[in-house]
Amino acid sequence: MSVSRGAARARGAVVTGLGVIAPNGVGTDAFWKATREGISFLDRLTRPGSENFPVRVAGQIRGFDPATMIEERLLVQTDRFTHIALAAADLALEDSRLPVDDLSPFAVGVVTAAGSGGGEFGQRELQQLYGKGPRHVGPFQSIAWFYAASTGQVSIRGGFKGPCGVVADDEAGGLDALAHARRSIRHGADAIVAGATEAGLAPYSMVCQLGWRELSRAREAGRAYLPFTTDACGFVPGEGGAMFVVEEEGAARRRGVPIRGFISGYGATFTGASRWEESREGLARAIRVALDDAQCAPEEIDVVFADALGVPEADRAEALAIADALGPHGTRVPVTAPKTGFGRAHCAAPTLDVAAAVLAMEHRMVPPTPYVTDVCHELDLVTRSPRPAEPRCALVLSRGLMGYNAALVLRGPEGDM
Amino acid sequence: MTRRVVVTGLGVVAPGGLGVPAFWDMLTAGRTATRGITLFDAARFRSRIAAECDFDPVACGLTAEQIERSDRYVQFALVAATEAMRDAGITPEGSGAKDPWRIGVSMGSAVAASTRLEQDYVKVSESGARWDVDHRRAGPYLHHAFSPSALASGVAELAGAHGPVQTVSTGCTSGLDAIGYAFQTIEENRADVCVAGAADTPVTPLTVACFDSIKATSTNNDDPAHASRPFDAHRDGFVLGEGAAVLVLEELEHARARGAHAYCEFKGFATYGNAYHMTGLTQEGLEMSEAINHALGHARIDGTEIDYVNAHGSGTKQNDRHETAAVKRSLGAHAYKTPMSSIKSMVGHSLGAIGAIELAACALALAHGVVPPTANYETPDPECDLDYVPRTARALPLRNVLSVGSGFGGFQSAVVLSRAGGAA
Amino acid sequence: MSRQFAHQELAALMKKCAGLTVDPAALAGSPEMTFTEFGLDSLGLLAIVGELENHYGTPIEPGAESCKTPNDFIDVINASITAGA
Repeated sequence: MSVSRGAARARGAVVTGLGVIAPNGVGTDAFWKATREGISFLDRLTRPGSENFPVRVAGQIRGFDPATMIEERLLVQTDRFTHIALAAADLALEDSRLPVDDLSPFAVGVVTAAGSGGGEFGQRELQQLYGKGPRHVGPFQSIAWFYAASTGQVSIRGGFKGPCGVVADDEAGGLDALAHARRSIRHGADAIVAGATEAGLAPYSMVCQLGWRELSRAREAGRAYLPFTTDACGFVPGEGGAMFVVEEEGAARRRGVPIRGFISGYGATFTGASRWEESREGLARAIRVALDDAQCAPEEIDVVFADALGVPEADRAEALAIADALGPHGTRVPVTAPKTGFGRAHCAAPTLDVAAAVLAMEHRMVPPTPYVTDVCHELDLVTRSPRPAEPRCALVLSRGLMGYNAALVLRGPEGDM
Repeated sequence: MTRRVVVTGLGVVAPGGLGVPAFWDMLTAGRTATRGITLFDAARFRSRIAAECDFDPVACGLTAEQIERSDRYVQFALVAATEAMRDAGITPEGSGAKDPWRIGVSMGSAVAASTRLEQDYVKVSESGARWDVDHRRAGPYLHHAFSPSALASGVAELAGAHGPVQTVSTGCTSGLDAIGYAFQTIEENRADVCVAGAADTPVTPLTVACFDSIKATSTNNDDPAHASRPFDAHRDGFVLGEGAAVLVLEELEHARARGAHAYCEFKGFATYGNAYHMTGLTQEGLEMSEAINHALGHARIDGTEIDYVNAHGSGTKQNDRHETAAVKRSLGAHAYKTPMSSIKSMVGHSLGAIGAIELAACALALAHGVVPPTANYETPDPECDLDYVPRTARALPLRNVLSVGSGFGGFQSAVVLSRAGGAA
Repeated sequence: MSRQFAHQELAALMKKCAGLTVDPAALAGSPEMTFTEFGLDSLGLLAIVGELENHYGTPIEPGAESCKTPNDFIDVINASITAGA
């Protein structure tokens, strides 16, 4: 079943800028250094108010001081997830050197994915409301907590009046945001600032997530997130994310900036919340749609960034889905999951994988899967140390706890055929 | 080859109108559903009025498990989706759509599970006494409440959909955008059918308090039935509402092949940001006008062919002025000849849900040739000088209808629907 | 009568409620300058009004949030808190 291409050939969507803020690094260089070396950054959850939770290990951003990157005026009126989005968007725009002033404001849009919203801000205002009364809820609650806050603030700060959107999907939403960016480019936009950032570690946000049996209850960082192994016991929550400048290919070429990668194909399916066995077929179909969309043969995939949930039946389903969709190539292609070193942050999780995929192609190196050693599936999972390679085409996979499956095909600078 | 998209099913849960027949009857009668808040004790709040749904999930056919798992807004969506799928002749058991991998879902919500998130917060924080909340007091499905994706996920489970599923959250344009994205999903050949809509149930203390604090809501507490007064000179803010609507969007040939009835054709969609202010709107309406122009362009329809504008018409001073300016900018002199009404005068402003409810109203208007009125409109405002269809519905043959929306965050969206059976 | 609420207090609230660093002397010395020019938007001004209402335990009169300049605002606030006291 072929996804319609039409104008797609004429207007390709390329990545020209990356902005990353993650537990293992603030800024692309720091993120790549830690990711390449497989340095792990999981740690005891130390957010005040979280001491008694059964989830003890998380990936937390340590070296990020929003005040150094964002005006205090904006910090006061936004939640941490938007602080991270504003900072990451800035980094991406700087990286791409997008000539914002030369473009029509209607030609540049913003699309983010958000699955946890402004939880810390919201908890403060809830405390005001129930502790002191309705008149103690401040005016910024109306714009800080909701899922659309980051897209709105990035759009206003940059003067971007183009297509603006927000998908509040679960983990797979990060890939959906990039697919939306690509669609807007097809429909005529010159550039879209796209990605996802999350900050879901505030106490009430964590309490809201404890119902997921997929969350790791392990007490030691080294044993908490071990996908594809017999010790798999769930996933570790994280925070942060990546924003990208996605640009129309011709425009990027005309201004002579390096093309970092092509968003070549996307596929999405749904197989139900926590029905991991069924996600096998769902993920395999999403991969096939994405490959077809990208006009990419399975053998062309040089590296797979796995969803790697860390739940035995989900890991098995993913390994089988890769085999189902890629055939014999599925057991030979290098697979990796850098997120075991810094956790999964809702919609932002796959955006960090996309950033890692772009960097892996650029640096000709497949980063390893931190903490993981003995793999119990038919997968060539890259473990222990980075593996030199020449990946020209990456497949990024993501599944959400509410049942979403998504696959994104990313080609290197050599490009689309 | 362009794939055309038609609307083959409708389902609505609106204040004063559970189900499409009751909803349409209410709109055409010009009745209002705004009243004093009953969902909680609002005595200490500035605005104490809302358009609430008298909603009994059991009477609406939901199972005990669906009720336990789902926040109020998801419950609304499940009821609306059931009605829409039945109406379209598409059921999970098989009739209608053949391939579940070609059925998608796209649902919008601005504030998602605000009801349960707030109720459980009270328990785990001992009414705001502690920051280090006690997880042992949380309800069993709080994790579903925390995930806005539970909305589309719940509808997808109900529909037996395995295609692309998404939850859209662009503030008060969520409904238009979710349905617009569904249209694009079918247009791009990623699905043949999309169950698309929106739901929000924001009549909760926190949401009411935050609109209190920015003085966006009406304080006409003594006369709730007449509090929502879009475009009227005496308007004093919007009246919060709640609700859900679901539309079944279907590729034209797919619908024809199974002999489905179409309410209308979905022709065009566009959304832009105003990059101006999170809550403020410009006087000129330039960005909304851009969205209208692009939606018309997408639909290949000239502004002069629009026969009815379904307004955002929230009833705040700035919105109604902004929107009037935007419509005049896009439709020119034709704007003065085109009826433009706001159903928020009757069903309130249900944030993310309202765009879907308004598109359901537009589909019905096209199918019945009747334009719903703006209730409570009495005194003209010199800055709002269009034909707002005061108080009484108007019979009018309609070819093309435009629906617009604005949302916090600067979102400006426009949708064009056309009478079914027209040429490409 | 000494005014309870003056430029000093306003500058402190602009910092606390809206994250703006403004010199009280600049607020006092440029009577023509608007809040917008000082970087304060409508939500920031509403935050200040809310803070004052809670601090003094009295409603501030409705026009306060539409004041364009610091001096106008200071007058309205003093009138409200004097009347309410």
